[in-house]
Amino acid sequence: MALALLCAVPPAMALQPGDAPPALSAPRLDGSELALATRRGQVVYVDFWASWCAPCLQAMPALDALQDRYGAEGFTVIGVNVDTERAAAVKMLERVAVDFDIVLDPQGVWPQAFALPAMPSGYLLDREGVVRFVKTGYRTKDLPLIEAAVQRELKRQPGG
Amino acid sequence: MKRTILGAMTVPLALVCSACVTIEPVQPWQRGDLARAEMAFEPDPVQAAYRRHVEFSKEAASGGATLSGGGCGCN
Repeated sequence: MALALLCAVPPAMALQPGDAPPALSAPRLDGSELALATRRGQVVYVDFWASWCAPCLQAMPALDALQDRYGAEGFTVIGVNVDTERAAAVKMLERVAVDFDIVLDPQGVWPQAFALPAMPSGYLLDREGVVRFVKTGYRTKDLPLIEAAVQRELKRQPGG
Repeated sequence: MKRTILGAMTVPLALVCSACVTIEPVQPWQRGDLARAEMAFEPDPVQAAYRRHVEFSKEAASGGATLSGGGCGCN
């Protein structure tokens, strides 16, 4: 039994500030591919969401507003949908329309790479693609916290 | 004899336990099915409220620690 326990696969470590996610890409709703690496040089908020996750749906319009406010300074949001059925994501986007990029990841490759601890989760990546801020869960009162992290990263000089 | 029985039981027990460690926990992003309404303990909120009302005010089977209906069904 001890041998079996030793052989058991340990849970992956969740990405923390200072870590860099691996090279990832996923299709958008229109089928075009979005690679995370193409956003290098921008401050990116990777938001994991699903149609069945109520707080995710609260967070999305707020993140969309953040992108509107700071987009010109180089801030962008990528919404990673983890629904197993595309129709569920599309239906939800009809209710919660957002302008930021949405990618579909029904296999859960992205959340596995980030070792997502909860839904929703958001990762703020700096201009070099390194995680600088992690937000698990979402409540309306969390928005100033996310906005402050975005402002901090936008002001940070590369390599600073 | 005892040792033989113990040894014979250890192997199947180890096999059963080793089967358990292969069960992977449901990850946070895989909980779509668990979040479905029909997976809830009380899927219908209206029916659940009605049941609670019956249990509290008519049957006095649940509810506050000190107060309950008298069984008249009038509250």
